Amino acid sequence: MIPIFARKNELRIRQKILRGVYEENLLMLGKRRPTLSRRRLFLPKKILLSAVVCLLAILMHGQYMGTSLSPSEMPANMNTYRLPLPATGVSSEGTGNTLELSDFVSSGNLPLSHMFDLKIRTIMIDAGHGGADSGSVGKMGTMEKDITLDIAKRLKTHLVKSDRFHVVMTREDDSSVPLSKRVALAQEAKADLFISIHLNDLPRKPINIIETYYFGPSNDEKTLRLAKRENVGSEYGLSDFKEVMERLGKTMKLQESRELAKSIQANLFINSRKHSEDIQNYGVKRAPFVVLLGVDVPAVLAEVSCLSNNEEERELSSESHRENIARYLAAGIFDYLNKGAITYEAQK
Amino acid sequence: MKPKNEQKQDNVFFVGIDLGTSRSKISSSNGVREWIESYVGWPRDYIAEKVLGKSVLFGAEALQHRLSLDLCRPLERGIIKEGIESSERAVKEIIRYLIDLAKPEPGQKIHAVVGVPADSLKVNKLAIRKAVAEYVHALMVVSEPFAIAYGMELLNNALIVDIGAGTIDFCIMHGTIPSEEDQKTILTAGDYIDEQLFNYLIEKYPSSKFNKNMVRQFKERFSFVRDINEEIRVELPVNGKPVMHDIKDEIRRSCESILPALVETTTEMIARFDPEFQMKIKNNIVLAGGGSLIRRIAEYLQDALKEYGTCKVTRVADPLFAGADGALRLAQDVPSKYWEEL
Repeated sequence: MIPIFARKNELRIRQKILRGVYEENLLMLGKRRPTLSRRRLFLPKKILLSAVVCLLAILMHGQYMGTSLSPSEMPANMNTYRLPLPATGVSSEGTGNTLELSDFVSSGNLPLSHMFDLKIRTIMIDAGHGGADSGSVGKMGTMEKDITLDIAKRLKTHLVKSDRFHVVMTREDDSSVPLSKRVALAQEAKADLFISIHLNDLPRKPINIIETYYFGPSNDEKTLRLAKRENVGSEYGLSDFKEVMERLGKTMKLQESRELAKSIQANLFINSRKHSEDIQNYGVKRAPFVVLLGVDVPAVLAEVSCLSNNEEERELSSESHRENIARYLAAGIFDYLNKGAITYEAQK
Repeated sequence: MKPKNEQKQDNVFFVGIDLGTSRSKISSSNGVREWIESYVGWPRDYIAEKVLGKSVLFGAEALQHRLSLDLCRPLERGIIKEGIESSERAVKEIIRYLIDLAKPEPGQKIHAVVGVPADSLKVNKLAIRKAVAEYVHALMVVSEPFAIAYGMELLNNALIVDIGAGTIDFCIMHGTIPSEEDQKTILTAGDYIDEQLFNYLIEKYPSSKFNKNMVRQFKERFSFVRDINEEIRVELPVNGKPVMHDIKDEIRRSCESILPALVETTTEMIARFDPEFQMKIKNNIVLAGGGSLIRRIAEYLQDALKEYGTCKVTRVADPLFAGADGALRLAQDVPSKYWEEL
């Protein structure tokens, strides 16, 4: 009798596996989600941390909003191609606060790094999410963590090829790296520039957007929701927060981050639109992302694509599309670093 | 009279394809089993095409004429290679060529299961689907180590370690299709050994002439870990004259360079499960892929894991075709209702 039972059990397992193969392949085509939910547990600790971040953002908002948005400080080069923002109340970039260094750079066109001939030696690339944290998941099962890692590796290749920088990554494989650890890695590596790569997720809207963030307060609900999602697992305490917040206003970081974000957003959008007319430019924004907060150097978070858009998910599966995104990111970084360099401007 | 289902299957040609970084293989329901090196080359210009008499070359032939070709090895490091548009085209060409080699009858419908490196499945699955879809009527894509496990009937309580050229893929089987947590990929694999060996040989024999392709052949012929009772000497030109070189120590050092990551990841994979399950898995570790042919590697891994208790490490009987055979078995076992025409 035992062999019969064993055989039956094996057949049952085999059928279960074949059914699994079928479902996985259906998922690949975006036809049906698997029976198992991919949603992660939302731990109370994570909720609490996110709430703290949002609260801080709102408190800071009052401080920062003392200065009004001046149209003259909007990026001139962005005005020419920027599409009207949707009527959902998504706020555009603010001017930031009164920085002590702003007197040096009233034009806002020349990066301080260039003005003071500061060298960018080390660039840190942060591939968003990883390990147990998949980030957003597309209808066909594509995970944000895999795409961000692939684009990050390609971006590294482009930057290394220039032979000008030491390039490091917060993760080089599918490992889980807490946000605080990412910040610590950037500090340890003495990074001069920090770029975090993410994909947007707008399940309620079938649109494809590109947007780039630097650290700062925001009163936009969608931006705060996004920050809350990306800040999950920060592992920061309140005292850590206070300390870095105090340091923030005294550095050139804010202004430089905005310049870097503008350059990256411009390159990403102008070039991506060549391939897809439907892509929308959500511009440069401020948001309270933890990973940007702790880094003392120019730091941006680029939402380079939108995984909830079916067509875009298909495109992201092709290596040429991911390669293009990496190239545009690299071009954005080079443009930022070379701004004002006569030979570079002439070459452009 | 045959049952209805069987009649339908008569006109279906099943293939299992293992799309690997180094070699791609096909096993088909007519018994044909073929493999090629995963290289595709296109003649660089009109003259090269005229001389070679072909618009595209594959495998060993492509390698042989590499100076006249734009050569592409599309699945380097386990994913479709970065930066070259032609890599997606190359995957298509490999699939087309492999299916031609299997010789399906005219009019037969081709149902294929394709095994790809686990990392490729993560980021390139739709691109691979697109590449294969042109040449088959119905298709399923699975990870390589899973295809091996299925073919070997290792459906429960087993750990498959597929040591390929671009990646080492780990896959734990526990009675269901493996989830992402059950699989892991590391990049220190066959290509990494080649790089190490190349550097060691340059360092030891700076005046000798050899290239990466020759180094890969040395590795495939002589690879071992620990120690073996034989000399390893190869002939290399020095200033045009053939000279014998002792490369035994370099072969050993380069092969052993992948062991720390291999042992660490194997331990990590096993440790993820509860102790009762760990015991069962430890006694059912199966090495596959070209890297499993490294002499004494199974023994090394078994000894390295001894401190965690008894364990048993074996090797699949046919490392070259285990993935393709497993994919074919899957194709033949999948109920017809699960096949969706493309």
